[in-house]
Amino acid sequence: MNAVEIKNLSKNFGPKQAVCGLDMTVPMGSIYGFIGENGSGKSTTEKMICGLIPTSGGSIKLYGKDYTDIDVRASLGVLIESPGCFPGLTVFDNMMLQAANLSIPNAEQEVVKVLKMVRMEGAAGNKYKNCSLGMKQRVGIAMALLGNPTLLVLDEPLNGLDADGMRIMREVFTDIIKDGKRSIIVSSHLLGELQKVATHYGIIRHGKMICEMTADELDASCRTYIALQTGDMNRTKMLLGCKYSRVEEDEAGYIRVYDLTTPEDVVTYLYENGITVTEIMTDKIGLEEYYIDLMKGGK
Amino acid sequence: MTRELKFKNPSFAERIKGMLGVDFYRLFHTPMFYIFLAIAAIIPAMVSAMTMMPDQNGNTMEPLYSNVWQIIAASEPLYVINTIADYANMNMVFIFGGIMVSIFIGHDYKSGYVKQLFTTHAKKQDYMISKSLTCAFAMACMCITYLIGGTVGGLLVGYETTVNVGSLIIAILSKMIMSLGWASLYTFLNIIFRRYFGISIASSFFFGTGVLIIGVAAIVENLGVPTWFLNIFLYGSSVNACLISNVGTLIICTVVSVAWAVFYNVLGTRILSKSDVY
Repeated sequence: MNAVEIKNLSKNFGPKQAVCGLDMTVPMGSIYGFIGENGSGKSTTEKMICGLIPTSGGSIKLYGKDYTDIDVRASLGVLIESPGCFPGLTVFDNMMLQAANLSIPNAEQEVVKVLKMVRMEGAAGNKYKNCSLGMKQRVGIAMALLGNPTLLVLDEPLNGLDADGMRIMREVFTDIIKDGKRSIIVSSHLLGELQKVATHYGIIRHGKMICEMTADELDASCRTYIALQTGDMNRTKMLLGCKYSRVEEDEAGYIRVYDLTTPEDVVTYLYENGITVTEIMTDKIGLEEYYIDLMKGGK
Repeated sequence: MTRELKFKNPSFAERIKGMLGVDFYRLFHTPMFYIFLAIAAIIPAMVSAMTMMPDQNGNTMEPLYSNVWQIIAASEPLYVINTIADYANMNMVFIFGGIMVSIFIGHDYKSGYVKQLFTTHAKKQDYMISKSLTCAFAMACMCITYLIGGTVGGLLVGYETTVNVGSLIIAILSKMIMSLGWASLYTFLNIIFRRYFGISIASSFFFGTGVLIIGVAAIVENLGVPTWFLNIFLYGSSVNACLISNVGTLIICTVVSVAWAVFYNVLGTRILSKSDVY
């Protein structure tokens, strides 16, 4: 059984078609990285999954049941845009209110548990309005975790988090899915971070799913490259550009030669042309570059 | 290994209990509620006191009221008002109440609370019911502070206190019961204009003043048609709860208030079900 199964989903806002014929499958026990540029229909799709906006067509099934089914809806945890906290109340009070809404027994224990999960137990007494952006984001995730949901829908949950916050979130996400019953849909523009946790990916463009794959499939699809540095970078770039189809200089100052697995040819070629390689390594492009390639139609 | 998932199905009672708990908690833990209670108490006291203040020439105004209890309810059901005294009574609570409901519901949308709520198990109908009941309670409390403020103000000014106690109690109770209908109307208006906070407040204020019914009443009176049918409206019934009220008035107010509450709740639920949550 899949956690989410979407067939031919569409949503129109007047004449504008935000989502058109979208198919999406989120397996149980997965962290589904939902990727797309701004205005591609990610948030609209997530809102439809959450029942916040009615669909214009197609079907959404959550754990094999229609998404409007109240039983299955009760098992959703969500963070979309804002966590739904009242600024004048403390973090703890806001969490308790959500626990009351969800009719959670032993609410206090549950609230303390999820606050500990996101390392916010020390800030429970702070008024929500006094929390930093990162803290607010953690509270939002804690709010979504209340009631032990089977499906979490998180829209940009990593925004505003510092390095430690991101690490904590990765641990939390991994911990959630380890029993194989729960799933997480995460949309984020921080693709490097997403790649560290996602087990599946869905890439959306202009309201259509253009690609769905597992992390392993992504890994297999990612181009390999050789990155090198020499004493004469400009001449190296020119020489390599004459021989290989794709040569680029990256932000770190390395020259990258794509689609090569053995560095010997490059080293020999440069040596024959009087250039000594000072540093060389082989690597693969990450999700971010894969995505940029895909958007450019380069892949 | 088969992976089984069990989903809980919260009952209506569980859902509504949770939502009411949250709404009442919010009501009692935000300053807004107490500010509006204070406003409801201060306004009638101020209206009474103003009549005693001398102008630049040292002349005092002619008193607006002749009796303390006219601050609470009109002497008779006056659908068409002639003086400010005919209008300025406990019905003003429904104007301030409308603004309070707009702020209360506006925060739900502004904070994203409704997204959390509607994603999980809360049905749209639960939301309408919970808001209507909570806001009705808040307005009923405002009626009580208005009563206290108006009575103290009237007594300090030295108005007469003669009244049919039974009618007075029925009038007060009727107006408190009318809070449910008014709260449902304001909840409904705020659902319609949920994306436009300013329009929500303006529409609540507009309906709260009862100008529509006053306008209809003026036309009806000119045509010589009986005005009793105006009692089927919220403002009409609120005006009907006056110092000559009897048990019949209380029954009419209860029926009208509940009927409009049901109407607005059903309509609001339908609109919410078919519209996007922002």
